[in-house]
Amino acid sequence: MLSKSYCWKAALAIGFAAVAWGGTFGTVVSIGGQASDVALDEPRGLLYIANFTANRVDVMSLANNTIQTSINVPAQPSALAVSPDDHFLVVAHFGNAAPPGSSTNALSVIDLGSNAIQTFALGSPPLGVAFGIDGMALVVTTTDFLLFDPVSGSTIELDTIAGVSAKTLPQPAGSTPTSIVAASVAASADGLTIYGLGDTLVFRYAVTNRALSASLYTAAPPLGPRVVSVSQDGSSFTAGWTLEDRYFFDISEFPNPSGILNVGTTAIDSAHNLIYAQVRAKGDQPSPVLQIVDADNLTVESKLNLPENFAGRSVLSSDGSTLYGVSDSGVMVLTVGSLSAAHQVVATQEDMVFRGNFCDRSVATQVLTVVDPSGGNTAFSITSNTPGLSVSPSSGVTPATILVTVDPNVFASQKGTVVAALQLQSDQAVNIPKAVRVLINSREPVQRGIFVDVPGVLVDMLADPTQNRFYLLRQDLNQVQVYDGTNNTLIATLRTGNVPKGMAIARDAFNRQYLLVGCDSAQYVSVFDLQTLQPTQPIRMQNGDYVQSLAAANNAILAVTRSSAGLDPSIHSIDLGTRSSTRLPSLGVFQNKVALNSVLVASTNGSSILLASTDGSVMLYDANSHSFTASRKDFTSLSGAYAASNFNQYVVGNNVLDSSLVPLGKLEVGTGAPSGFAFVDQFAFRTTAPGPPAGSVQSTAPGIIQRIDPTNLTSNVTRATPMVEAPLLGITGAAFTRTLAPLYSRTAIINLTVSGFTVLPWNYDAALAPPQITSVVNAADLTVPIAPGGLISVFGTQFSSVNLATNAVPLPTQLADTCLSVNGQPVPIRLVSLTQVNGQMPFEAIGDVTMILRTPGGTSNNYNLKVLPGAPAVFYNASAGPDTNLPTVFRGDDGLLVTDSHPVHRKDNADLVIYLTGLGQTNPAVGDGLPSPSNPLAVPLNAPGVTLGGVSLPVVSYNLTPGQVGWYQIEVNVPTSVPTGLSVPLVIAQGQNSTSLAVRVVD
Amino acid sequence: MKHCIYAMSFVLLAGAPAALAQKWEVGVAGGGSFYTSQTITNPAGNADAGLAKGFAVSGWLGNNVSNLIGGELRYDYEHSGLRLSSGGTSVNFGGMTNAIHYDFLLHLAPSESPVRPFLAAGAGVKVYSGTGTEQPFQPLSNIALLTKTQEVKPLVSVGGGIKFALAKNALLRVEVHDFLTPFPQNVIAPNAGSKTGGWLQDFVVMAGLSFGF
Repeated sequence: MLSKSYCWKAALAIGFAAVAWGGTFGTVVSIGGQASDVALDEPRGLLYIANFTANRVDVMSLANNTIQTSINVPAQPSALAVSPDDHFLVVAHFGNAAPPGSSTNALSVIDLGSNAIQTFALGSPPLGVAFGIDGMALVVTTTDFLLFDPVSGSTIELDTIAGVSAKTLPQPAGSTPTSIVAASVAASADGLTIYGLGDTLVFRYAVTNRALSASLYTAAPPLGPRVVSVSQDGSSFTAGWTLEDRYFFDISEFPNPSGILNVGTTAIDSAHNLIYAQVRAKGDQPSPVLQIVDADNLTVESKLNLPENFAGRSVLSSDGSTLYGVSDSGVMVLTVGSLSAAHQVVATQEDMVFRGNFCDRSVATQVLTVVDPSGGNTAFSITSNTPGLSVSPSSGVTPATILVTVDPNVFASQKGTVVAALQLQSDQAVNIPKAVRVLINSREPVQRGIFVDVPGVLVDMLADPTQNRFYLLRQDLNQVQVYDGTNNTLIATLRTGNVPKGMAIARDAFNRQYLLVGCDSAQYVSVFDLQTLQPTQPIRMQNGDYVQSLAAANNAILAVTRSSAGLDPSIHSIDLGTRSSTRLPSLGVFQNKVALNSVLVASTNGSSILLASTDGSVMLYDANSHSFTASRKDFTSLSGAYAASNFNQYVVGNNVLDSSLVPLGKLEVGTGAPSGFAFVDQFAFRTTAPGPPAGSVQSTAPGIIQRIDPTNLTSNVTRATPMVEAPLLGITGAAFTRTLAPLYSRTAIINLTVSGFTVLPWNYDAALAPPQITSVVNAADLTVPIAPGGLISVFGTQFSSVNLATNAVPLPTQLADTCLSVNGQPVPIRLVSLTQVNGQMPFEAIGDVTMILRTPGGTSNNYNLKVLPGAPAVFYNASAGPDTNLPTVFRGDDGLLVTDSHPVHRKDNADLVIYLTGLGQTNPAVGDGLPSPSNPLAVPLNAPGVTLGGVSLPVVSYNLTPGQVGWYQIEVNVPTSVPTGLSVPLVIAQGQNSTSLAVRVVD
Repeated sequence: MKHCIYAMSFVLLAGAPAALAQKWEVGVAGGGSFYTSQTITNPAGNADAGLAKGFAVSGWLGNNVSNLIGGELRYDYEHSGLRLSSGGTSVNFGGMTNAIHYDFLLHLAPSESPVRPFLAAGAGVKVYSGTGTEQPFQPLSNIALLTKTQEVKPLVSVGGGIKFALAKNALLRVEVHDFLTPFPQNVIAPNAGSKTGGWLQDFVVMAGLSFGF
């Protein structure tokens, strides 16, 4: 027997070879026939392959992936299983011949020690076979479940089945074993549970107590690929495109499946919480692609190119390193354990954002990094099809730095955000690289709001009704993103089921503590505790129902569901206490039958829930009567924004409805399609956007936000304010949009927009006063001396309507509608607030300069100041425990901050590192707002001098801090001759300017 | 077991007298140390500062100049952490002291006696050392700072004890000392605005063996 290490090396070599052959992952082993099943015999280093059409079992060596022998067996070996003691190989033969032929359904037992074969006739076509830990093989036929003892050859009938049919032989040319047998049976790795799947049958067999749970099912499309894979402990299994629990409820589904039986596979890797899957979706390209997805909610982690399609069962080696699966040519071998060493290409950023800047229309450049996670050198190309967006170089070898350049003048007329893409391609890489989304915003001062980039597909948004938070639903990653409304930062992400569609917050009975998320590809509604931001027990919907939309009134939680059982979409009532749901028998006097594309929304006081459907119908649930009290169809179709007020008014699209859902009137349509609507007390906010350009799904023009008086519908046009970018518009399949969320604190309005979300202050439409600058100081110790390249703080009034800081590199030259210039040159900005802007004085600014600040409110008066060649200033932004605003002086021996309790020691020539700003221009020169280089270091042109207690300290080095913007550092020695004391002056001087601070020095 | 110990002591003392006529004496002892504390005053609040209880070891070389008068040069090591407390907050920091001093001894019984009480007084120097790990933040640092440094202070020693003759050349000594030094203001440094002063007392109880020759 080969050693494991030898097998591993061989597998690695195969994996690499496959990669080198042209950007696919895996090796194909052709068997000269059509494989129907595989079984691993790891102790012998063998893989048994049922060759359905050649009537043999091919035996493949795991060491070199070659067929070393074949065992001739009776006709049509359709399924295989190896006994737990590796003594027997049981082979099922599907011989369901149509008259006048005679059926040859049988079971063979091969003694793997002696190679002796015994064959037993079966009365019905076998669907599959699997061994339990007890050494008995479960054989499933179209009529019964049999327990077969391979030692004695005896058979026990566990139960019978009715209503299961099988295809008869012969079948038309081109048929495959998977589509003929159309069944799969598999055991968990612990051997305690066996699951099986046929065209209409799904079952679970508990080995320990020999208990069967079986049921007939319907699925549209069919459950393909027709493969069952079971988790290690049998708690979940894949059945075609579904991931199910032991009760046959869908934990998650692969979205939009094609249902093809004979293309694809699934294999659960419980040790790594992953599933390897090829499940073709409708509309997918025919090229074979393997998805690696999370084993709980099927979130796609990566996609790999395969050399050919899988076509049935896959099995993982016990160490999870190698995947063997039935494929078109026979068997495909994937060394998944060495995937991290295979060539791949990824961009380190999902999105790149170029913000519009009405101070600066010069060409903007950012850096995109392309890497191979394996650390290898992989060739790639990168392209842009958007005029005005260019990359250089357009091809390279990883790791590579790509300069992405945007000419703002090309996009100046958009006055919104253009979404472009950079396509990565590689003939070497085995993965399918994700495109990089490039957001290019162009704006005028009159456009309000600050947009925050959130990559991915955002489909819903809610503001927390009791605290200053809001929640975004990112569908492509199956997560709820929790944002702090005070600073609009992400504070948590919560995992949902697959393809989340809508959210609701449970009301009074649960103290608004629980967030519910319905998913289009999961039968469970995710429930999160909003206090702890942790998942709680989910709600199991009735079998076959998938939540499309949710809303919570005071006494009911309602859900619109679609049915995979062929029933009409309907309304379900959810009981959060029991975590269960019930399909309502009727909706008051109305039938419980709604259009598939329907949404629910509750009034903020919980008195009512509005249902709106794309077919133009609306319904109203009234919490007082605990029933649906109105149902109308006054429109041929509905889409766009939807909202319910506390004052018996409702909005769907551009239509305003009264308490009986009778149309009251229409909102204006001149500003575009409705996107968001939110009632706040007796007024409301509304957003609209012009239609998208051809070929795009979202508008590139500015959106409009309106402050609306619902009692005077014609007044809103005059209160329209252009936004920085357009709110999201509905798309096919998601015609309704909830994109507006006024925060509980009433400090801001959050909008789902093209780039992610846009923050508007509550008084976004208030008249703005022009800004005024009152002082300019260095940002380190807030004193007046300033040097080129140094960080500065500008103080004054009316700088910005919001507080916003950025860690973007390079620093933007406009932030939150505010931009600053010195002698006409844009100033990189890190922070803006009402009274303060922090930024970096341009390196070219020296001598007497003039500063101007621009906001949507206007332009400040000129502010004249003097910029010195050097003006060292130590930062006072360090902290130690509760002590803050400490100078940034660090000891070299342990890298910790110098404080009174962590003083300078004058023995042993100890090192100190001082972080400061204001050391002026450097060699080499560094661009404004750019991080400082590490090789070579950027060294100030004028050397600084440092004294401690009047004793000159040897300067070891002085330079801009690599990777930082505007930060310098000086490293000095502390000789033994410096005086000790509790407060010894440390003086940093450069030219005629100096700064001083006190440190404690001890022996 | 107690009965056995008493019996053994009696036997040892009975054979001892010849040892007490030796001119020189060398010995070692071990025990515990107990410090008084000093109050450090600060407008933000006062704190008690000093050294924590610890263990002590000592070694000496003595000579008997007459039947009742003697003297000895001693080295004392104490492992005692630095301590600062105010209100409900206390801070501890590794520390130790090393001292060397000369004490005059006045015996209260003649050299032939198997049991000789004695009084001791002398002077020397004591080195206070902070040995803990410095951190940028130390609680109560607004009042005082426990510091990783060394500081030498003059020392005054007073005390007394009893020498028991164990054998011809062997003595069992039980003794108590009070070592007094000025407060070590570099190792336990009052911060700006804080004041302290006075003397720190260090009571040490030790038992040991010495040998005459």
